[in-house]
Amino acid sequence: MSELDGETTREIRTDYLARVEGEGAMFVRVRGDEVEEVQFKIFEPPRFFEALLRGRQFTEAPDITARICGICPIAYIASSCNAMEAVCGVDLPEQVRLLRRLVYCGEWIESHVLHTAMLHAPDFLGYHGAVEMARDRRDLVEMALRLKKAGNTIMDVVGGRAVHPVNLRVGGMYRAPSRSQLAALVPELEWARDAAVEFTRWVAGFEFPDFEQDYTFVALREPGEYPIERGRIVSSTGLDIDVSEYEQHFTETHVERSNALHSTLTGVGNYLVGPLARYALNSAELSPLAREIAAEVGLGDVVRNPFRSIVVRAVETVYAADEALRIIAQYDPPERSFIEAVPHAGIGYGCTEAPRGICWHRYEIDAAGTISDAKIVPPTSQNQLTIEKDLTGVVEQSLHLTDAELSHRCEQTIRNYDPCISCATHFLKLEVERT
Amino acid sequence: MRAAACLGSRYRGDDAVGPLVADRLRAAGATVLDCDDEPTRLLDAWADLDLVVIVDAVSSGAATGTVHRIDPGEGPLPRDLGLASTHAFSVTDTLELGRALGRAPRRAIVIGVEGAAFGMGDPVTPAVEAALDGVVEAVLAELEA
Repeated sequence: MSELDGETTREIRTDYLARVEGEGAMFVRVRGDEVEEVQFKIFEPPRFFEALLRGRQFTEAPDITARICGICPIAYIASSCNAMEAVCGVDLPEQVRLLRRLVYCGEWIESHVLHTAMLHAPDFLGYHGAVEMARDRRDLVEMALRLKKAGNTIMDVVGGRAVHPVNLRVGGMYRAPSRSQLAALVPELEWARDAAVEFTRWVAGFEFPDFEQDYTFVALREPGEYPIERGRIVSSTGLDIDVSEYEQHFTETHVERSNALHSTLTGVGNYLVGPLARYALNSAELSPLAREIAAEVGLGDVVRNPFRSIVVRAVETVYAADEALRIIAQYDPPERSFIEAVPHAGIGYGCTEAPRGICWHRYEIDAAGTISDAKIVPPTSQNQLTIEKDLTGVVEQSLHLTDAELSHRCEQTIRNYDPCISCATHFLKLEVERT
Repeated sequence: MRAAACLGSRYRGDDAVGPLVADRLRAAGATVLDCDDEPTRLLDAWADLDLVVIVDAVSSGAATGTVHRIDPGEGPLPRDLGLASTHAFSVTDTLELGRALGRAPRRAIVIGVEGAAFGMGDPVTPAVEAALDGVVEAVLAELEA
């Protein structure tokens, strides 16, 4: 810290591991009581994959895009399948659609529990990380790992395997599971649902920084269900569009200082996707149990404190287990597990709710089914500008903290978003510069 | 029982060393645990094993293609190697968590390959490519020792 023109200047910088140099970083400069600059870059847009897709067959898009993220492959598979099915005019049979929704529930459980229990909860409890937490609270970490595994098991049974599921394809599934295969999941999912309720009560008891933002929420909406694998794109400002209209309302702007793209909603600016947005726009569609636990822990209809996103993720975990059980209970194996998609020249759009928020895809294919253009907008890059605004607000409110405390609060602010790469971990190298 | 756990992304330059070694080890008939980008999936897979050989790219400042062998014994894996960078919960933490929960293999050894390029879409550096055969031999030797 230094005195400059009678004012104190503080710089806080977060770098990631050398091997991913340039991929993620945070920089905050404070002069006096004013936050002069916040730069945040965290997610490399999937431009490499868009290039890789060009010239490939439309049926290959799910397998290729699944490789973008090891944590949420289903989101990429489902969005690309939706897009290809749209351009080929394929309507999924209801039971096949529900299988896709079921495997997506598995991904939500796995991803939400990994983030909330292993990466985010230690922040609130004063632990350096999950390893330290496990030494004191082995019961909780064991519960979280079992819960996460329940999600993995759905992905194994329905998706073919948990890592890069292979059973999903354009038009449906290669093979539909039998009724008994799904019934075998029920006891563990019933345990998972109850454990998620306990987990929600636990995280709701954390102490949350007093910080709220007036977010513009953007999520999918499908009447009669909480949005996961389909829906129209809606916002808290009244937007209600088909996924094919996304580019008429949302813009990605290249930011000179980094490779990042900043997404904005026309006429509004930055916006928020993910659990807080889904919840704010769709909480009435949660299952009765999930609504009940949300009410019990005092969530209300809208949550504007990003630090409480951990509670919303826990409620969504309850919902995902509950919804998986509902789908299994009504399951009637489809006669055909997929519809053969016949390519037509045209443009297809797909959008689904990845655990971190909407994952939007557009593909142009020719009559032979060859992909000539691809565009993928993942959730973290949509939230990038909002994360910067949060950081600005949090730093302004937290200037009384020491540099070390302020750095930690900034990391915690980033972790609220469950961003896609290692930045969500305690593996950060932190540097506080005083000038 | 002994197995290898190979981490990394095929699309991220030298980070592909894990998957490339895994392909060769499988072809040689070795047991390779599948975890891809999410090492906590190893907690169940490796809990009862006598030895796990972790293969990953490393960024420690050594010459590209250098093969590191780290046997941490009962201690933690060193953090200054830049192991498992892009993974949400690192393999270093996963091993420590496994030990805290009684879900770690009895022994873990790391074979790390020093990489230079980790950008999405980067090709594998020639020095890393040249090191692959030696890495596979080293891992097989550990598994068969």
